Amino acid sequence: MTNDYRLTRRSLLRGAGAAALASGFASVVGCAPSNSGSPQPLGTPSFTAPPSGEITIWDRSGDLYRVFDKAIASFTAKYPQVKVNHVAIDINATLPNTLITGADVPDGAFYDDALIPGIAPHLYDLSQLIEPYRNDIAPYKLGVATVEGRVVAVPWDLDPGLLFYREDMLQTAGVDPAGITTYDALIDAATKVKAAFPDSKPIHLEANEFLSQLWLDMFVSQQGAAMVDAEGRLTLDSPAYRNALTFLHSVNQQGLGTVAKYLEPTDVATLDNGTQAFVPWAQWFVFAPQQLLTETKGKWRATFLPAWRSGGARSGVMGGASFVIPAKARNPQLAWLLYEYLTFHPDGYRTVYGPNDVYPGGINTSVPSYLPALQSEALFEPVAELGGQDLWEVATNAAREVPGGYRIPIWWGRAVDYLGVNLQRMFAGQLTPEEVIATSAEQIQENLIDRP
Amino acid sequence: MVTAPARAEGATPPARRRRRRPPLAPYLFVAPFLLIFLGFGLYPMAFALQLSFTNWRGAGALEWIGLDNYIYLLTSEDFWGSLANSGVLWLLVIPGQVIVALAIAVALVKARLRNLFIAALVAPFVTPLVAMAQVWIVLFDRDFGAVNLGLRDLGLPAIGWLTDPALAKPTLALLVLWRTTGYAVILLLAGLQSIPSQVYEAARLDGAGAWTQFWRITLPLVMRTVSFYVVIGTLTVFQLFAEPYVVTDGGPFNSTRTAGLYLYDHITNSDLGLGSANSFLLVVMVFALSLASVRILRSREDG
Repeated sequence: MTNDYRLTRRSLLRGAGAAALASGFASVVGCAPSNSGSPQPLGTPSFTAPPSGEITIWDRSGDLYRVFDKAIASFTAKYPQVKVNHVAIDINATLPNTLITGADVPDGAFYDDALIPGIAPHLYDLSQLIEPYRNDIAPYKLGVATVEGRVVAVPWDLDPGLLFYREDMLQTAGVDPAGITTYDALIDAATKVKAAFPDSKPIHLEANEFLSQLWLDMFVSQQGAAMVDAEGRLTLDSPAYRNALTFLHSVNQQGLGTVAKYLEPTDVATLDNGTQAFVPWAQWFVFAPQQLLTETKGKWRATFLPAWRSGGARSGVMGGASFVIPAKARNPQLAWLLYEYLTFHPDGYRTVYGPNDVYPGGINTSVPSYLPALQSEALFEPVAELGGQDLWEVATNAAREVPGGYRIPIWWGRAVDYLGVNLQRMFAGQLTPEEVIATSAEQIQENLIDRP
Repeated sequence: MVTAPARAEGATPPARRRRRRPPLAPYLFVAPFLLIFLGFGLYPMAFALQLSFTNWRGAGALEWIGLDNYIYLLTSEDFWGSLANSGVLWLLVIPGQVIVALAIAVALVKARLRNLFIAALVAPFVTPLVAMAQVWIVLFDRDFGAVNLGLRDLGLPAIGWLTDPALAKPTLALLVLWRTTGYAVILLLAGLQSIPSQVYEAARLDGAGAWTQFWRITLPLVMRTVSFYVVIGTLTVFQLFAEPYVVTDGGPFNSTRTAGLYLYDHITNSDLGLGSANSFLLVVMVFALSLASVRILRSREDG
């Protein structure tokens, strides 16, 4: 009588229906996230001396990981009862989802400034802990680490915009780099270089959509502006964006620009073969002559960016990173102890920036945002690949030029689909600067600001 | 002679006793599957459906916003643009691929060294996708790609395979074709091999030529496998993510931002409510498209 044991269609459907109902009910009732939408404040640590415990810290893989590994060793030498699990990982791809799921959340992570507002609700509010250092942090960097009035990251580095140039080509063309004090002067200099080197398209124009938006922000922040004002209103339709876009359009229209993706094969080739002679970029461009360029190694130099008007600021911000402590960290206070050591303690920041096994001359792709470190003796050595130039002096002086007022809206990354793309359309000759502004403003307003 | 054992007086008949026993065993057998399905299938789906009516960003309380996410998507140029990109890729990939794969499969049915050919065809399918995508970049780079170097040797101008919006989709479609055609061939080959040889023998006796056999026997009988592949292929194209992510990152000018990549944008920006609504809309649309494709192919089969 096997029929007695058969699972009838009706009973199966009944069971499945009950399961679905239970599941749906559980999803509605039991799954509402419990954490609040605002960052929770992290108070002053109260350690039973000496501090002890275990933390997991995420850093980007590669050389930076190795450098931080050395710095963490210096931290654990000072606090031997703290064990640090140092993990190399693709943080940008992994951290947002990890914060949402709450599984295997690190106690601290190195994270791009431009992306911090997007994960701010998942982070500790560090305002109270940062307070003693507040006046010693570069103002614009503190602004970048502040979301809705709360400091949600330990401000790490400054990435001032600089003008990298080919000294030998400028000499041949009779251009004095000290005279490039405004963007009009830069166009004049590029015209002279092109006259001397007819195959050149001297000024780099960025083709990567994300980086080009970051790059545009550098020109805009140099004018004390940002994509939004203090009230969060979109400010694309402003003189700062108009100036920057008009300049870039003009360079492109006059055949003075090489449109290439940062350090991809075309870019490296045209940097090395004399097509490009000027690269207005963040300090981290110095990586190229040190690691990628072969023919022109030692021929590049760095100076301040030109100003938008005579006497104006000579640098802007492009990129940068900070340390974040997730609200679901198991040992947030130990993570803070580590980051406080790395950022504000001379032994910490000297270990990171100073000469080490990985970088014998020290890390020279950025400078600290902590002003006493910025004002101290040079943390890294002159750069042989820049002809022995003292990049520390150039970069720290440029960093002091960066005006405040730079803000990163929560939707900055998604704006790349509009502003970043439209900027590329302008380089392709499809849009004028005014059209970039009007189209991007409309798209961002509709899709990122007014959206439910 | 075997006789049935005498039933004890007053004892319950075995059949009735079994009937009274709670039918536990079947439930126990299906319980592991049901539990896993509930935990990892139905529950996430129900939660995602709930999220699609909120503007949740991964933290804080869920805020019910009704159909706003769906209305936003259905009136968004970006959403329809991503679907249009996927639709064009579908047109570039699926119809041609089915015809080519069927031709290769027919040629392979009786081919010598068939296994060697199959291995060669499957190799792209089992090669790590990201590695292949990198190869594509090297092949089709405007300034240093092998394809343009070849064109230059012939005195032809360089072509922006991955930088011209009109060419980026076909170049991407070529990668998808190269990667998945082997799988289509294997599937169709299995379908062809399941056709009984007696059918062909009978047809030959009736004087049917090779073309008539293909048109009257092979094609109708393999149509179910073709339908299956079209559904699988449609799902593959509309979920296409890794290829555009690595090769073009959705560019130039969002021309290769597929439905899968657009969905990823929501998720990676913690826009989980909108992402969930996008997922459900995609499910409905892909289901409708698959159903329509199968209907069309079935009507051919029936005809």
